[in-house]
Amino acid sequence: MAEEFNKDGMLDMFLYESGQLLEKLESIILEKQEEPFNDSDINEIFRIMHTIKGSSGIMMYENITKTTHKLEDVFYYLRESQPDDVPHEQLVEKVLAVSDFVAGELDKIQNGDDADGDETEIVADLNNFLNRIKGEIKDQGMVLPKENKHEEPSQFYIAPVASEDSRFYRIVIHYRSDTQMSNIRAYSATYALKEIAEDLLYLPEDIITNEASSEIILAEGFQMMLQTKSAEDEVLGLIESAEAEQINIEELSAADYGKWLVDFGREEPVIEINLDDPGEQEAPAKKEEKKEAKPGDYVVKAKETGKGKTLAKNQPKKQSIISVNVEKMDALMDLIGELVIAEAVVLQNPDLKVPGLDLTNFQKASAQLAKITTELQEVIMSMRMMPLTNVFQKMRRIVFDASKKLGKEIDFEVIGENTEVDKNIIEHISDPLMHLVRNSVDHGIEEDPEERRKAGKPVKGKITLEAKNEGGKVYISVQDDGKGLDKQKLYDKALQNHLIDKPMEEYTEKEIYQFITLPGFSTKEQVTELSGRGVGMDVVVKNIQTIGGRLDINSRQYEGSEMTLVIPLTLAIINGIVVKVGASSFVLETASIKEFVRITSDSIIVEPSGEEYILLRGDCYSFIRLNQKYNIPDSQNEVENGIIVVLEHEGKQVCLLIDSLLQEQEIVVKPIPAYVKKIKGLSGCTQLGDGSIALILDIAGLIQDGERR
Amino acid sequence: MAEETKDGIVDEELEEEFSEDTQKGRFMTFQIGKEYYGISISYVNEIIVMQPITTIPEVKDYIKGLINLRGKIVPVIDVRMRFDMEPTEYNDRTCIIVLSVDSMTIGLIVEQIAEVSTIMEEDISLPPSLGKKDRERNKFVYGLARTEGTVKLLIDPQKLIQDEELETFERRYEKEEQ
Repeated sequence: MAEEFNKDGMLDMFLYESGQLLEKLESIILEKQEEPFNDSDINEIFRIMHTIKGSSGIMMYENITKTTHKLEDVFYYLRESQPDDVPHEQLVEKVLAVSDFVAGELDKIQNGDDADGDETEIVADLNNFLNRIKGEIKDQGMVLPKENKHEEPSQFYIAPVASEDSRFYRIVIHYRSDTQMSNIRAYSATYALKEIAEDLLYLPEDIITNEASSEIILAEGFQMMLQTKSAEDEVLGLIESAEAEQINIEELSAADYGKWLVDFGREEPVIEINLDDPGEQEAPAKKEEKKEAKPGDYVVKAKETGKGKTLAKNQPKKQSIISVNVEKMDALMDLIGELVIAEAVVLQNPDLKVPGLDLTNFQKASAQLAKITTELQEVIMSMRMMPLTNVFQKMRRIVFDASKKLGKEIDFEVIGENTEVDKNIIEHISDPLMHLVRNSVDHGIEEDPEERRKAGKPVKGKITLEAKNEGGKVYISVQDDGKGLDKQKLYDKALQNHLIDKPMEEYTEKEIYQFITLPGFSTKEQVTELSGRGVGMDVVVKNIQTIGGRLDINSRQYEGSEMTLVIPLTLAIINGIVVKVGASSFVLETASIKEFVRITSDSIIVEPSGEEYILLRGDCYSFIRLNQKYNIPDSQNEVENGIIVVLEHEGKQVCLLIDSLLQEQEIVVKPIPAYVKKIKGLSGCTQLGDGSIALILDIAGLIQDGERR
Repeated sequence: MAEETKDGIVDEELEEEFSEDTQKGRFMTFQIGKEYYGISISYVNEIIVMQPITTIPEVKDYIKGLINLRGKIVPVIDVRMRFDMEPTEYNDRTCIIVLSVDSMTIGLIVEQIAEVSTIMEEDISLPPSLGKKDRERNKFVYGLARTEGTVKLLIDPQKLIQDEELETFERRYEKEEQ
């Protein structure tokens, strides 16, 4: 771990952590859109800003440091002075502005660009805001709290001039043994303390330059000698982190402090106590109270509760999480797939079929093995699954922003945000979903509340974002109670843009709605900042299609519309039935199989063109002989001897002639190598238990093919 | 299955001399019909014995299908048929050379593996342009190498994999899709 210490590793961690913190920040803000922040919110935001400031300082992203520092100042003031009449709405705006700025810079850094955003405007704005709320207080003659001063990272040692209210601490932090780069953690602790420190020394000294120091820190703990005016609680609040297992703080007398300093390789200094120090910045009343807290030695465990409201809230409520490279996950996934196959090879080994073998013990052992591999598969799958919470959180923000900008009042409801989806898929749906939500706000909800009132709807618009998991698919719908889609308008527009050429009667309702997904289509007369550039819906559809999903559009004029993304739960494993045609094996997705039937040749209807249909219980299905379609030799061509599979996909059916059924099993889907190009009717391939390869049939493609004929 | 391939001839050598430099000028040679062909060893991953092949429908006949290479699914092409020669029966000398070309993994079915030989650049000459008639074959061959009295035809694997007809078909197909 320590060997990997380089800026890249730090950068990754910085980006990851800051990203997480920003998400948390937004969730706090959006929860408290209406009501003012309570103490714990203020503390939390303060802590988040403080952490980002500290780590961006280490990473030398000055603009992030400055903005977060300013916002931290604001919250420092709020925390210390607790003014009552802070304009909450403005405050929320400021926080979001900072959050956006930092997120933007993080994006830049992630893409390898320089974080060159200009912070001056935001900082100035925050300054104004801070002065304003301070000003209001001042008028009331209250005492200002000490300025929360930001020290430049380069200032390592501050001359030890002790004043009469200086206090001396010896701090030892023990990090959890699995903490990565503990030297950086330690550095952030020192960085945090520099805010309040009059003097700060630490062991090991060379935490940043010497990689080996992280091991020393892990083994012996990180020792700090601190001279400060702050109280113990405050010190503790600054250095706390999720990685710290144990923090010992000991308050020392000035003399003891000096003795300890000798251990730190400094000559025992004469600590001047400057009695004449006027104490320019008078500590606020709150701090006075804190001083009464009994000093002494106590231990804070990472997850101890009941340490007072503030402390408990300060503890991040995250589970212990490590970030793993997705490539490694994929490799693990592949290997487990292999393991499952290898297991089948062993358990179905032909050598076991010798008559008269006593396999009792073997069977027991193999049952155990099968259990473990199944579990293993489930675990790896669940590792890849992530709840949609984060994505939905983003949508909340978008609705908030967009509705503000457009001056529309909108209720946003989220249902089923805990639905879990494969990570790959999450990455793909975020952007399309964002687009749909924006469209709903911009195009869906009526601009004029009067219009809504006339239609008998509540003045406040409503957008519902819902996710559910059904039959191996995930449905994510964005529903609004706006004006709905106007078929005539859509048709006219499409015609006008030369996207279609047939008369309106030839299109079904759904087809007309699908017009909005055509490239170069936008019904919004005026292009707004939010949406309506005519690109968008087609991109949405394309993105969704790449992950094997689709977009359903449903609408009722004057009542609202519903856009539903239907996406597969996972791309990796499907439940399939293996069938045989000639010497080839094919896989059919179990979910799409309606039934297996045997028929006689008189249920087949042949058209003069040679096209065949099957009459089954009065219904007529198109019929595909797989062996003929793919020219497979030595296969069953007599319907009496083969099996007919009735397949269904999106309400359309097709019948398929196959030779025989082999088995049902979990299929690890692998793509057909790119070299082979795309073959109609095949969606992938997989390995079977005996190591042979089966081709996965693409039901949708087959049905489409059947229709086209 | 995996054991056999690990002991493949080339694999060992590759492991010993993995760097670019030592691979330079080294060619994997194999026999098809009467001629010897060579492929730059930098393309070659390994050589495996003939495997059961899963045929795939609706592809060119020289694409024989897919093999399972330790969990990786690899398409294989019959080089003989790629050169428009009459296909022959596979026997126990038939091998599959596994190549990586343009980050694609692909197997070449060849009649017989010859050896890994070093061919100096000065020994390589351009194929004579007289043989224009046989354009089909020549488009894969970018050079003739004379070593120890024999002539080896050096093949460009990229050309082997490319298929003009298929590409145009692809384009048409994609258009249709849209």
